[in-house]
Amino acid sequence: MADAPAREDIVTRLPAVRPGAFRRLLEHEQFLAALLLSPTLVILGLFIAYPFAKGIWLSVSSATVGNPGVFIGAENFVKVWNDSIFQKAAQNTVIYTAVATVFKLGLGMILALLLNHHFRGKRLIRASILLPFIIPTVLSTFAWKWMFDPTFSVINWTLYYFGLIAQRIPWLSDSNLALGSVIIVNVWRGMPFFAITLLAGLQTVNPELHEAAAMDGANGWQRFWRITWPLLLPVTMVVVLFSVIQTFADFQLVYVLTGGGPANSTHLFATYAYQIGVATGLLGEGAAISLAMFPILFVIVILQLWYIRRVEGA
Amino acid sequence: MIRGPRWKRWAFFYIPLTFYLIGLLFPFYWMLVTSFRPDNELYRSWRAATNTPLWTLNPTLEHFVYLFTNTVFGTWLYNTMFIAIMSTLISLFCGLLAGYALARLRFPMAGSLGTSIFVSYLVPPTLLFIPLAAVIRNFHLQDSPWALILTSPTFLIPFCTWLLMGYFKTIPRELEECARIDGATRLQAMIRIVFPIATPGILSAGIFAFTLSWNEFIYALVFLSSPQQKTVPVGVVSELIRGDVYFWGPLMAGALLGSVPVALIYSFFVEHYVTGLTGAVKG
Amino acid sequence: MKKPDEEETRMGKKSVGRRTFLKATGAALTAGGLAGILEARRAPAFAQGAKLHVLRWVDFIPEADAELKRQAPLASKALGAEVTIEFINVNDLQARTTAAIESKAGADIIQLLWNWPHLYASALVDVSDVAEPIGKAQGGYYDIFNSTAKVGGKWLGVPHGVIGNTVAYRRSWHEEIGVKEFPKTWDEWRQVGKKLKAKGRPIGQALGHSFGDPPTFCYPLLWSFGGAETDPSGKKVAINSKGTIESLKFFQAFWKDACDEGGLAWDDTNNNRAFHAGEISATLNGASIYVVAKRQQDKIKDDKGQPLYLDIEHGAPLPGGPAGRFALYVPFQHGVMKYSKNQKLAKEFLKWHHQKANYEKWFEANGAYSVGATKAWEDHPMWGKVDKPLRVYQAAARQARMFGYAGPATAKATEVYTKYIIVDMYAKAAQGMKAEDVAKWAEGELRKIYG
Repeated sequence: MADAPAREDIVTRLPAVRPGAFRRLLEHEQFLAALLLSPTLVILGLFIAYPFAKGIWLSVSSATVGNPGVFIGAENFVKVWNDSIFQKAAQNTVIYTAVATVFKLGLGMILALLLNHHFRGKRLIRASILLPFIIPTVLSTFAWKWMFDPTFSVINWTLYYFGLIAQRIPWLSDSNLALGSVIIVNVWRGMPFFAITLLAGLQTVNPELHEAAAMDGANGWQRFWRITWPLLLPVTMVVVLFSVIQTFADFQLVYVLTGGGPANSTHLFATYAYQIGVATGLLGEGAAISLAMFPILFVIVILQLWYIRRVEGA
Repeated sequence: MIRGPRWKRWAFFYIPLTFYLIGLLFPFYWMLVTSFRPDNELYRSWRAATNTPLWTLNPTLEHFVYLFTNTVFGTWLYNTMFIAIMSTLISLFCGLLAGYALARLRFPMAGSLGTSIFVSYLVPPTLLFIPLAAVIRNFHLQDSPWALILTSPTFLIPFCTWLLMGYFKTIPRELEECARIDGATRLQAMIRIVFPIATPGILSAGIFAFTLSWNEFIYALVFLSSPQQKTVPVGVVSELIRGDVYFWGPLMAGALLGSVPVALIYSFFVEHYVTGLTGAVKG
Repeated sequence: MKKPDEEETRMGKKSVGRRTFLKATGAALTAGGLAGILEARRAPAFAQGAKLHVLRWVDFIPEADAELKRQAPLASKALGAEVTIEFINVNDLQARTTAAIESKAGADIIQLLWNWPHLYASALVDVSDVAEPIGKAQGGYYDIFNSTAKVGGKWLGVPHGVIGNTVAYRRSWHEEIGVKEFPKTWDEWRQVGKKLKAKGRPIGQALGHSFGDPPTFCYPLLWSFGGAETDPSGKKVAINSKGTIESLKFFQAFWKDACDEGGLAWDDTNNNRAFHAGEISATLNGASIYVVAKRQQDKIKDDKGQPLYLDIEHGAPLPGGPAGRFALYVPFQHGVMKYSKNQKLAKEFLKWHHQKANYEKWFEANGAYSVGATKAWEDHPMWGKVDKPLRVYQAAARQARMFGYAGPATAKATEVYTKYIIVDMYAKAAQGMKAEDVAKWAEGELRKIYG
């Protein structure tokens, strides 16, 4: 792989090797754009285009594992639409994404503001809060699974030990709590990245602006809302956007923690699609479930992209 | 540091920060204790007087020994690292170039191309792995780390591209124009002026990409088959979870060993990353 | 495409070409199969460098995998090809199988649980020529394999074993409340469980989304009250019946009176640990609770400090109801994949593994956890040596039924199983939903599947 310095070498040598024409071509915006975009398009074209097209085809076919199936139009979507488990999964996914994102953003922002101060051990703490984000999800989820264990939960033990609860909290066995528990793990995992990204954004805020505002009598909240937040917005939007997509399509966490149970109360699009497509072998229907989240995501994306552009334009 | 009276410092800084640290790091503490806990303490009633879930009086290294003697954990670690580094480099390379083109250059269909790169991120991987397996077979990449090095960028590039695009847009065009007046080509201006300023963005994208590929499970599960090729997440799950008996000790030891080295590397980057931006961009 | 020619040229004159080999093995098979070849002390000449990839789950009993790992090089030698056995987590087996079938590349032999031969029928090779002789020579397969491994009269999987499950319970705790013998009916068990739960020793039962324990409990419960998914044709949904509703009503009371209510989130592992820690008095499980407790006897102890396994009784199948006493066991078989370029070799490997001397070692390593696929293994001397609590597994596989009952175990029955509809039916009841409404819900779900 060529990394930055190597490329720099090439570029500085370029004029000597190929004078004139090529160099002028590189100044041509359209040519340069095509050149710069080509590696991305090659990789995406080679590895995503076919599977994506195949996924769409599967969703309108009667394919099962080992049988290519025939075109059946929207039948899979109709079946899925009337499926009570699918409806439950759709509802869960929306709640899961919305709640988790709000908490990730809110808690991440507060943490970023805290970390933006100078204090002893700053470096160590900044690095250690990233740990939840680094550790492979599958493995950390197993740790959580054990911490939520209906019989041996260390969280329950601690609360019980300090007399805060008299009865075990059924983290994963109660339908409502189970979704909440899954959200907790998601927030735990995703919040550090929010915090660090926002922290980086905070560094760009010129302290003089704050001082000037403070002299004009603005309080802490006003300074945050009027000065810091607008400056953070562009980066925040991108991070939120990607987080929403990822959370929406989350799989591993629920798969490991609950498998969608109890009684489907934690099923998400992705886990249900996997259950139907892989465990049951109904590839067509599984693809339909998978793709059912596409339009929803697409709308979210378009709205956010539009918003990002508007903010940037302003 | 927060100015003002001491109580204010505690109320608005130390106490909230402590809560965060407990919340974020408790699971790690728990893993740490578990990985040193002898097995017989695992089979203890939660109500037993001897139950000490938060610490252990008889720490043991047996789980780490098990991990390194009964599995090829070292190899998994190396594989994961190699795959993550390579796919991060590829994704950053592609993302930098594409992000720059989309942010700075005027060409037809710029908007729709940007959106379609984005849309490829929306493709759900849960079922995508099935047709993707056929692609991998056609390229004869089964059971090779390259199967992952080349497929992970498909979900890393869109993020890198978009994040970097955002950063590039915040960099004033004037900086580049000055360099061009001094005789630099477009490419030179891009590499010498724009990229260095975007370092925090590059690090941010890199951290994100590295972590995502470090984490990846389903592709690694499906595309790799020999134990020597596996990655940490897949290897640990395949070999340490036996039906209805979890090997909690080695499992947690593996989880810790699989994340602490990365945390150390990150600690170095994070400092650069958060301070790098200061002063680089005005307003 | 190019490969066979390449192989032939690479092999040169010294070794036997692929086509010659095919003819040779074809002849050998008609003249007594692999046994003949082995007797002649000549390894069958498979294309040099031929590789056989076997994909299996990580066994619940580590010794069983160790034995298979030991056999791999022996098989390689006997077959003249490199045999590798890969072990992965049971939950990931289907992801790998699906990707392999769809991309037409992957392991040559895949372990198939339950009725997966129905699910993957179009991708599996007919292995009747391997399965039939083994069954005939060994006293016949258990009935359950007729519904799981046989599709349309053909064997699409070579039956390998059955994992039985029975109730493991604490003898002393039951004796304390005057119970000498394990309850034979559901009502009795409920009374016993009520007394135990009052002492903080409930019955543990998983009801989460997990492949083993929850379904193996729920299906037999349904059947024992006369409930069934469909009529015998497998076309008409019959779940909303008097029997089902009665079983649901019973279960609601049973759950509240006798069970650890955390079970709604349990998967297959929870009850093992809860049992070992003395949190529950009884639970439906394979032999793993006993086997692990015995193997780690210095670690797993009861409240008096004695090794726990001495207090474990494993003598009881699930109790019976008005309609009888049933069991759902996990059968598994090996399928040879159609895309495989080594189908002959794969079959030879299965024949080799099922030779008494080889299979026996695997069977013994299991220590009653997985029992044989054929009835002959019930007479194996191992049963005289295993601990008394495990002897219940000796003939356990005889009474096993498959899901889909009363209909055949088709792919549709699998869909019901993988959607956990029967399990969720009981989970909903446990959560307090009215029995009639639950049955109606299940009927609606089943109608969508059976059409």
